[in-house]
Amino acid sequence: MNSSKLLRVTAHEAENPTEVSLREAFFLLQPQLKPPFPLSIPSPSEYSQLNLAIAFGILTEPHLAKTHLTHLHAIVIDGYNFFTTTLLKLCNESYPKLLETPRIQILWLTSNLVQVAAVHVDSLIISLLRQTIGGHFSESNLWLCAELVKILSDNWDWILDEPLVLTSALFVYLRLLADHYRLGGSVKLDSLKRMEIDFCIKALRECFSLCLQIGRDLVRLLQDLVHIPEFRDVWKDLLFDPRKFQVLGFTDISGLYRMRTPAHYFLLRITPDMEAHLRFLLTYVNWGSQKRYQAWFAKKHLCWPGSETVIADIIRFICCSHHPPNEIIQSNIISRWAVVGWLLKSCRRNYFEANAKLALFYDWLFFDEKVDSIMNIEPAMLLMVNSVPKYVDLTHTLLEFLFLLVDNYDVSRKEAIVHGVSAALNLLVRKGVVRSLEPLTSCNLLSLLLRERLITFLPRSDPGVVKASSDTCSQRMVTDGEVAPVLEEKG
Amino acid sequence: MDAYAGSSSIMENMVPLKDVAPAATNTVNTQFILLEKGSITQDGKETTCLALVADETASVHFQMWGSECKAFEPGDIIRLTDGIFSYHKNNLVLRGGKKGKAEKVGEFTMLFVETPNMSEIHWARDPDNPKKFLQEAVISPHSRIFPPSQ
Repeated sequence: MNSSKLLRVTAHEAENPTEVSLREAFFLLQPQLKPPFPLSIPSPSEYSQLNLAIAFGILTEPHLAKTHLTHLHAIVIDGYNFFTTTLLKLCNESYPKLLETPRIQILWLTSNLVQVAAVHVDSLIISLLRQTIGGHFSESNLWLCAELVKILSDNWDWILDEPLVLTSALFVYLRLLADHYRLGGSVKLDSLKRMEIDFCIKALRECFSLCLQIGRDLVRLLQDLVHIPEFRDVWKDLLFDPRKFQVLGFTDISGLYRMRTPAHYFLLRITPDMEAHLRFLLTYVNWGSQKRYQAWFAKKHLCWPGSETVIADIIRFICCSHHPPNEIIQSNIISRWAVVGWLLKSCRRNYFEANAKLALFYDWLFFDEKVDSIMNIEPAMLLMVNSVPKYVDLTHTLLEFLFLLVDNYDVSRKEAIVHGVSAALNLLVRKGVVRSLEPLTSCNLLSLLLRERLITFLPRSDPGVVKASSDTCSQRMVTDGEVAPVLEEKG
Repeated sequence: MDAYAGSSSIMENMVPLKDVAPAATNTVNTQFILLEKGSITQDGKETTCLALVADETASVHFQMWGSECKAFEPGDIIRLTDGIFSYHKNNLVLRGGKKGKAEKVGEFTMLFVETPNMSEIHWARDPDNPKKFLQEAVISPHSRIFPPSQ
């Protein structure tokens, strides 16, 4: 039975190679880790070993951490690059399994590395931000949220020079607040919420031009927080007094709508494990083989109360950050739309289901071919078309929701939204993602109202006539509950 | 993290499941993903649990003993060293045995097939080499204990 000072290991688990290299370096060099420190210049491999040894020492010997850190400062010759990269690797591979002491130490180290502006400390912070689990209210998860927001708030000058860290942290904490704010009353939790609110408001009020880099998802995140007084004020200014943000050129919220959110932001709300599993599913698993993987994924990531909140984040990731190449799209690998369909069906509560559908359609609302990617809107279209006729209820729900969004998302800018959705639909047809909208417009399993409404989004010349009979109900064969893929031409 | 991509380049002596044949000795080195676990039962003093495991070439029944029963869960990628594939109480199973070791090396990122199932094959001794077994007939294309999920 191997016992570990770094990781929570159970019997029958292979040793983690990173941990092994850290531990072995430590035991090898242990005599050299006490002052007086040798002043000889180490060779590159000696330097690496020393870094690994010091890292292990700091992570597992808190009472000697300051000594080890002093040693590190004394010998560093690469801007802490190797050291920070080692921590980054450990974090990405094993954060969930780190024991309590190494976790505390890694946060302590991160704070110190920020203060010396260590190379790659920005990546380390972002990696730690990704380890905050949405909808998970365990002590250790909330502790991580608190520690990170403290480091960021204490190093405001540093963060002003790190727009990626600032905007990533803002994205994360806006999203976390939507879940945290609903939780009632411990003093510790109230203090966490206060820190999170203060950080976000400060970023929005003082660095709005940087915050704009997030793009339209900033609006999606803010709208879940309007019940928080400070954010209600931000929202009011965004809608009625945008000049208050003092950003040249930003005169209306629609400026923000028109900005596509870069793909990397959506990685922030899924953990490295979730990302690895989802990408594996969408890259290697064939149609018909996905059931077991989906069950394992749900058991690992979607099983605790409150975990449903993460489904919207996963859908944004799938639509915006995972764009399979043509060879995968044309192969027998399971399609994104099918995985999204499974995720939507996993939602039990209306609030989360609505957010999940909004996540699916968000890039439709203000779609502009010059700025947006067809890959972001493809899953929704294919899900609607391929759910007919076997799962036509889903198609119905989705179309209904889409029109609800068009009519209600931003009533005073409805025209822009109609324009966006039309552009999305037309591009999907033009590029051959679907040959036409006839599978929907001619399907009499869908209500006449929905079908007629859909036609209004097509160009005048399009003969998307609503037929009384439906012999063109589906483009794909549905056999035994599995949908056989049909090769589509991609533009 | 990507056990799938690495599995083809791991140590020599690793065999794909389709190449395991019954033998009296601990010589099986292989890697597989655990698909399904049966219930944990008592076999005399020992705790035991049967599982369906598989790699990209085949599936097989894996018999877990003692602490293994709670250590492994569906989705776990397991490396078996010096394992044994033999009859245990009329079941043809893969297991660690006295000399073997099963270790979790990853999760999720491995492909698998459920057909053929090496435990659902009727083996007969090779007339030219009594220590060897040959596949004689297929009892079932997949596990009868853990049928494929529909």
